Amino acid sequence: MLGKVIALRMVRLIATLFAVSLITFLMVEQLPGDPILAILPPEALDDLENIERIRKELRLDDSVVTRYFRWVGDALQGDLGKSYITDQPVSDAIKDRIPVTLELAFLATFLAALLAVPIGAFCAYREGSRVDRIMSGITTTALSIPGFVAGIFFIWLFTLKFNWLPSTGWNRISDKGLIANLKTAILPAASLALAPLAINARLIRADMIGTLKEDYVLSARAKGLRDRYILMRHALRPSSLTAVTVFALQFGGLIGGTVVIETIFALPGLGTRLISGIYQRDVMMIQGITLFIASVYVIVNAAADFLYLALDPRIRRR
Amino acid sequence: MSGQQEPSNPRSTRTPGSLRTALSEMPLGIKLALTWMLFIIGAAIYTRLDRLLGQALPLQDPFYQPFLFGEAKPVEGPSSAHILGTDVLSRDNFSRLLHGSWVSLMVAATVVSFGVTVGAVIGAAVGYIRGRWEAIVMAILDVIIAFPALVLLLALVSIYKVRNLTMIALVFGVLGIPTYVRIARASTLGVASREFVQAAEAIGTRRTAILFREIIPNILPALFAYALINAGFVIVIEGTLSYLGLSVQVPEPTWGNMINEGRRDIRQTVLPIFWPGLFLTLTVVSLNQLGDWLQQRVAVRSSAL
Repeated sequence: MLGKVIALRMVRLIATLFAVSLITFLMVEQLPGDPILAILPPEALDDLENIERIRKELRLDDSVVTRYFRWVGDALQGDLGKSYITDQPVSDAIKDRIPVTLELAFLATFLAALLAVPIGAFCAYREGSRVDRIMSGITTTALSIPGFVAGIFFIWLFTLKFNWLPSTGWNRISDKGLIANLKTAILPAASLALAPLAINARLIRADMIGTLKEDYVLSARAKGLRDRYILMRHALRPSSLTAVTVFALQFGGLIGGTVVIETIFALPGLGTRLISGIYQRDVMMIQGITLFIASVYVIVNAAADFLYLALDPRIRRR
Repeated sequence: MSGQQEPSNPRSTRTPGSLRTALSEMPLGIKLALTWMLFIIGAAIYTRLDRLLGQALPLQDPFYQPFLFGEAKPVEGPSSAHILGTDVLSRDNFSRLLHGSWVSLMVAATVVSFGVTVGAVIGAAVGYIRGRWEAIVMAILDVIIAFPALVLLLALVSIYKVRNLTMIALVFGVLGIPTYVRIARASTLGVASREFVQAAEAIGTRRTAILFREIIPNILPALFAYALINAGFVIVIEGTLSYLGLSVQVPEPTWGNMINEGRRDIRQTVLPIFWPGLFLTLTVVSLNQLGDWLQQRVAVRSSAL
C-alpha cells in the first residue's frame, strides 16, 4: 500500500516537473514575433550577421518539439543557455547567487521554528486564556503584513531610527565571518519569517489542542506527571510531525518569497538576479531562473510530502 | 430554490432578512473589519466618481504638486489641508491612498469573481458527475497549483510586458481558478450525498438542474469564505508587483508603487510608506478576519444540515 502511494506521488512529481518545464519553455516560445527579437537586446538587432550566427547557435530553425526536448535535456545537464545581454551562462548566475537565497530561506525557517513552537505550545496549553487571545490577535496581524512592507519597516526602525544594523548589502561568511554575515542577514530573514511564524504558531496550537485532549495525555495527568513534562514528551512529539512537514512545505515557498525581500535589502541572491533580468528584459535569464526556482519549489514540496509519510506511522498504515 | 433544506437549518427559522439580528450576532472584530472594508470600497468608488466628474468632488488632486507653484512645501506633516501629510513631491498622501485602493480592489474583485463563478461550475460539475473527467481535471489542477504563483506571475508579467490593470487582473484571475475548483469539488462531494439531492434525483430532476439549483447554491458559502481570504492574498501579490514596478505604472497611485516611491525618500519622510503599508495590512487583516468568521459559520451551518 505504501509502495503504491509513493509510486503515485513520484508520478505526480514527474508530471508537475514536466508541466513546469513546458510552461516555462512556452512562455518564451509564445512571445509574438521572432523569438530572436525577445532574446537579443534591441541594440544588437542591427547586426544581421550576428543575428544569423545566434539563430544557428540556438538552432531556432528546428521544430518546437525538437527544441523543447533539447532544452530540457540541456537543463538536466545543468546547461540553461546563456544571457545574450551580459553573456553570462544562466547556470553560472544561479551557482553564484544561490548561497545567499538558501541561507536566507534556512535562517527564516529557523527563526520561525524557534518562535512558533513555544508560542503554539504555550497557547495550546493555556487555550482560551487572555495570553492565548492576545497571541491569536498578534499572529493574525503578523500573517497579514506583506513581507515587503515588513522589510521596509525593519529598515526604517533598525537602521534609520536606531542605527543598529546595516540596511542593505551582504557580508559573505567566507570574507567577513559569521557575525558580520548575520548582521546583514537577520533583517531580511526576519521579514521573511513573519508569515510562516504566524501560520505555524496557529497550526501548532490547533494541533496540540487536539493532542492534549487525547486519552494518553489524560492518563499521564492522572499519573501525576508535571504539566511541563506532559507538554514536552506527550504532546509536542506527535504535534512536531505536523510542524516538520509544514516547515518543509514553507521552505519551498520561501525560496520564491526571497525575490522581493532580496530586492529591498539589495542582497546578491537569486531573486535580485531574476529582478534585474526582468528590468533588462533578459529573457534567457528570466526563463532559466524561473525554471530553477519553480523546480526547486516543486521538489521541496514533494520531499515534504515524503517526509510526512516517513515520519507519521498513522499515515503509513493507512 | 433552497426550500428543501431550510427547515432543517435552525438559523433560517428566525425572521428572514433581519439585518439588525445579523449585526448583533457579529463579534466586535468582525464589525470593525466590515467597517474597514466598506470604507475602502467606498473610497475606491468615490475616487472613480471624482475622476468621472472631473475632480468636482471634495478631495485633493492626487497628482497635483503644489510646491511647484509655491503653495506648499514637500514633506508636510499632517495638517487640516493634508490630513495624512504630503510626500516628497508635495502630493497629498490621503488622496493618493484613496485613489490607490481602486487598483487593489479591482484586481481582487476580478480574481474572486473569476474564481467563484468558473470554480463553482467546474468544481461542482466534476464533483457531482465524477468519473474519468474528475480525475483528469483534478490532476491538471494539482500540477498548476504546484507552481509558485509569485514567480510565475513575475515571469509572465515581465516577458509579456503586461502593465495595464485589465490584463494584470486577468492573468491573476486565470491563475487563481484552480484552488476554487478544488474547494468547490470538495464541498460538492459533501453536498451530493444529502437527502435533498437524492430526493431531486428520485423525482427525476435533470442533472444540470440539480447542479445549478441544489448543489451550487449550497457550496457558495464555502467558496465565499475562501474568496475573502484569497482576496487578501491577491492584494498582497499585486502590492508586491506594484512595489517592483511591474504592475500599474506611476504616476497612477497604487499602494505598492507608493511604497516604492516612498522607499527612495525614506530618509526624509516615512509617512508615504507608512500609510499604504498600514492600509494594505488593515485590508488584509480585515479580509482574513471576515473569511475566517464566514468559514466558521459555514462549518456550523453544514453540521446543522
